[in-house]
This record gives sequence, structure tokens and C-alpha cells, in this order.
Amino acid sequence: MNMANATLQINHVTKRFGAGETQVMAVRDVSLTVAPGEIVLIMGPSGSGKTTLLSMLGALLKPSEGTIALHGTTISALKEDRLPDIRLRQFGFIFQDFNLLSALTALENVALVAELAGVKYGTAHNKATEILIELGLGARLHFLPEKLSGGEKQRVAIARALVNDPTLILADEPTANLDSKIGHEIMRLLRAIAKEQGRSVIIVSHDQRIKDIADRVLWLEDGQFKEMKTRAVDPVCGMSIEGEKAAAIFEYKGTTFYFCAKGCRDEFERMPEKFQEGGTGMA
Amino acid sequence: MIWLAVRNLFQNKTRFVISIGGVALALLLILVLDAVVTGVQRQVTAYIENSGADVIVAQEDVRNMHMAYSALPAAHETHIRNVAGVAAVTPIHYLTNLIEVGNTRNLAYVIGLPGEDGVGGPWRIVAGKTLPAVGEAIIDRGVALNSGVGLGDTVKILGEKFRVAGLSEGTETVSGGSVAFIAQRDFVEARRDTGSVSFFFVRVRQGESPEQIAARIEQRLDNVTAQTREQFAERERQVVNDMSTDIVAIMNLVGFLIGVAVMALTMYTATWARRAEYGVLKALGARNGHLYRVVLGQAFLSVLLGFSLGWGITLLLVVLVPRVGLPIALEVSGASLVKVGGVSLVIAGVSALLPIKQIAGLDPARVFRGK
Repeated sequence: MNMANATLQINHVTKRFGAGETQVMAVRDVSLTVAPGEIVLIMGPSGSGKTTLLSMLGALLKPSEGTIALHGTTISALKEDRLPDIRLRQFGFIFQDFNLLSALTALENVALVAELAGVKYGTAHNKATEILIELGLGARLHFLPEKLSGGEKQRVAIARALVNDPTLILADEPTANLDSKIGHEIMRLLRAIAKEQGRSVIIVSHDQRIKDIADRVLWLEDGQFKEMKTRAVDPVCGMSIEGEKAAAIFEYKGTTFYFCAKGCRDEFERMPEKFQEGGTGMA
Repeated sequence: MIWLAVRNLFQNKTRFVISIGGVALALLLILVLDAVVTGVQRQVTAYIENSGADVIVAQEDVRNMHMAYSALPAAHETHIRNVAGVAAVTPIHYLTNLIEVGNTRNLAYVIGLPGEDGVGGPWRIVAGKTLPAVGEAIIDRGVALNSGVGLGDTVKILGEKFRVAGLSEGTETVSGGSVAFIAQRDFVEARRDTGSVSFFFVRVRQGESPEQIAARIEQRLDNVTAQTREQFAERERQVVNDMSTDIVAIMNLVGFLIGVAVMALTMYTATWARRAEYGVLKALGARNGHLYRVVLGQAFLSVLLGFSLGWGITLLLVVLVPRVGLPIALEVSGASLVKVGGVSLVIAGVSALLPIKQIAGLDPARVFRGK
């Protein structure tokens, strides 16, 4: 990858919380380069440091060590009062819970973010309308979030993330609260944003389906990127687990199933027909 | 950002009603009390303002009628008449007494009129004569109604019986009292005092300055105080102010504190309920200043609506109170509106302080932790 053209460059980033005996190292010496138009999926177990890393990438948290550069500008070294502008104009955020403002309509939710960036009221509303129509929400412009379906809410959130024309989209579990069909639709949208608009997309997710659209999949564990090992999905709870580190294993009709906990295996044993479609096993 | 403040304000109807209603009630307390004081001032000065006198001469250092007593030698009339620029002089007898009808007693400012011209007499007659002859009285229509008397009926004033010859309007005063007019001769006989009068009401010639004439009268006569009608009325108002300052100040403070408490609580809970949304906005790139504007906008809008509602209710009371027969005259003054408007702004500002502190302490990184 040509480093000079990179959208985002993370060099030896470490994040510590606390001090002394209570110190926790959430992220350890992580390095990553993201190219324009690239989709990077970061996966990992709970507590692996994904959220901390995402917060640092989004200029919401400063690293204890290392640097984060956006288009060559080291944003991790910028003063706090410069960061809101960077977040507003350079990043687009997509959250698991959509995080739309409940008192505002779909249109206003999107236009507000443009206004925050200094765009005038009329222009902001026109731009927001345009993006929402492109995302298929032309008939939902004046609906409050409570009147929208999960998929519609997430599309509004995507429109909000795009309204200031950012170069990097940061998505935290964007499909977690959506059913399978809508989840695929959102994945397709994220792919289009990256490939047609040339924006870089970093996704943090447990959702294995997102692998299909990612250019790169990184596994974060104990605060470090690790090699993707043999992965399996616990058929009962849906958690992604390393085959080698599975808490329990169960053979069924010639296939080996891996479980995150003995409880999941016990449940599977009781009704294997119910769960065998949900997980991945190894024949 | 102001429309975010507007939407936030109107989204939760219960909170909206509580905050607007609470502020309106708090401001209503201040507005109504001010309206009562202004109404009392108007009632107390109504007689002077409508007397037709340009200058009022009283005993030395007596500068108003309400709760005051003035006695001047009747012979001063000629001396005042001879002051250059004086057009007419009317001696006025005045005493605080009662209008009695059977067992009903009404406080009255009794005026003894010479009956020669209109100065010092009733200014709006709704029935009967415009000036009382001997043995006659002109009383306030409201008092007549409440006492069950009409034209031709008998009332007792200064212990003497009078036939009601006229009914006046605008002559009601504080605490259910009124101004009653009788003939000067009756007044003097009832008081058994022919040598003194209470005030001289002076009219000046056209083009003459009342201030200058007042000064000339004081130069010509010893032991008198001469003031223009405006000065005299202002002193009346001052008496009302002096009597009500403490209670008005206390009630203003109570109204202010209630307003601050209601607004601060609703603003704090409203911001607390939306802290996650404010956190999202911060994460997206909103600066604290943006969010402060939303909170301040919400506070000022609430107070503006509360103020408007309070003002509206006050105006309604101004119309309704006299109709239900309460002996209170309410009047909203511009000064009161400016004062309550100022109080409202302070309430809005103070109530936004805690939410602003809340927002300043919000960590935008929490948005990724689902908090």
C-alpha cells in the first residue's frame, strides 16, 4: 500500500487506563494503514479493545503512545479544541443503536450535522434531502425516528454520516440490531459507499456476514491484532470463537461444533436440530 | 440549533406543561402583585388626576391626601387668588369617613365642594346630578349597588343624613372605599369648623406654568406647600410604594425563587434525559458552545412562553376581577412588564447553569460504549 495516499495511518498505538496496580492496557502497540475506498473489518471478543481502538480512530480518545494520522495530519497530537472539527468534517460515525435524535425528523437529524459544520439552514436541508432520497428514504423525510423501522433508522444514520462528505466512515456494529435481510442491505450500502464514493470504511463487528464485503478482516484480542485463526461460530449463542480455544466441542452427524461455554454445548446437545443451522462446524 | 431547542422543548408534553405552567405561575405572582399595587396607585391618585386642578395648596409639608390631614385658613383663598397667573381657586374640604346605609359601612374620602365650578368634583357621572346641593350626596355607583341604594335614597355621611343625588364612576378607592361628594356647607356644619379648609385647588391662566405659580404661592404665603397636580399625584404613588415595598419585594423574591426552582428542575431533568443524545452530538463534532446554545435556547423559550402565559392570565384577571365584585383594581404597568421580563431572563440564565455543567462534563467517547 502507498503510505502517502493512506486515509488513515496508525503507528504503534497503545492505550492505558489507570495507573500502578490498577492499570489496564486496553490497546497494545497496534499499527494499521487504511487505503481510500478500503473496507476494514475489525473483529474480536468482548473486552478485546475494539471500542477503545474505535474511539481513538474517531478522535474521541487520545492514545497513550503512538500516533494516528489522517491524510498525513497527526490528529492524535492535535489539541482537544481542534478535534470536534475533525470529527465533524473528516469522519462519519455509524452506531449500533443508530443514535438518532428522538425529537428531530429524519431530515433534521441529517441536516443538523451539516449545520454544525457551518452549512446554512437551506443548503443543509437540501443536501440532507438529496442523500436521504438516494438512500431510498424520500418518503420518510419528515418522520420521527420512533416511526422508522430499524433499517430505515440505520440508513438515516448512514445519511448523517455522509452529509459532511467525510473520507473515513467508522461503524460500530452497524448490523447488530437489524434482521438478516436489512443487515445485508446495510452491508451493501457500506460497500457502495467505499467502492463507488472512494471513502474508507472501518467496521467493528461480531457479525460474520460482514466478512463478505470487507477487503481486510483483522482480529483484535487482548488489545493486539492477531492472526485470524480457525474461527467457528457457537451455534447456540452465535459468538465467534477460535476453534483451538473453544470451551467445549461436540460432534454431531460427522461435524464438529465449537462452543464458547459448556452451557451452550449442553443446550445444543438437548436439541441439536434446532441449532445446527446457526453455527459453523468442521467436518 | 435553535430548532433543536424548540423540538426538545415540545417533544415531552408533560415536561413542557410543567415547566411553562410553573414559570407562568411564578411570574403571575409577581405580575399580579405589581398590578394590584399599580391599581391601588391609580385608585389613590384618581381623584387628584381628575380634579382639574393645576396646583394643589396644602398645609406645610402635607404633600398628599391619602392617610394625611391638612388644614389651612379659609382666608388664604383671597391671597392665592391675588397671585399673578392664578385663574381660579377652589377651597376643598376633605376627611376620611364612612358612608353608612343601615348596618352597611363603606370607607369614604369625603369631599366638601363649594359647588361653584367643576374643579374637585366628580368627573364621571352615570346618573343624577353633577354637583351636590345642600343635603345631597354624590356617591360611587359600586358602593350604591353594594349597599342597595339608588338615587333619592338616604345615606349617612359624617354622621348626617344625605339624599343620594348622583352616582359617579371611577371613584372607587382602596379596600372597597370610594370618594363621596357633599356640599361645602354641609361639610362645614357637620365639622362645626368654618375657619379652615383642607386644600385649595388652583387653576392657572392659560400659558402660565403650574410650577411657577406653585412657587409664587409658596413665596406669598407662609406655612403652605404648593405642588403641581403631577407632583401631588407622584407623592400619592410614593406613599403606596412605601407601604407596599417590603411585601412586594418579598413576593417578588418568592416568585423568582419558585420560577428558578421549577425551571432549574425541569431543565436539569430534560438535559439529563437527553444526555445520551448530547453525547452523540459531541461525538459527531458538536462543540460545547453548540450544545449550550440548545440548552439556553430551551430555557429562554420556556421562560418566554411562561412569561407570555403569565401576562395573559394577568390581563384576564384585570378584566375579570372587577366583574366578580372584588374590591381590587388591577393594572399592568410597562415598568412591571420590564421588571418581570428581566426576572424571566435571569430565571432562564440561572436554570441553564446546571445543565450546561452537565453537558460540559459529558464524555463523547461514551457513545461507543452504549451509555
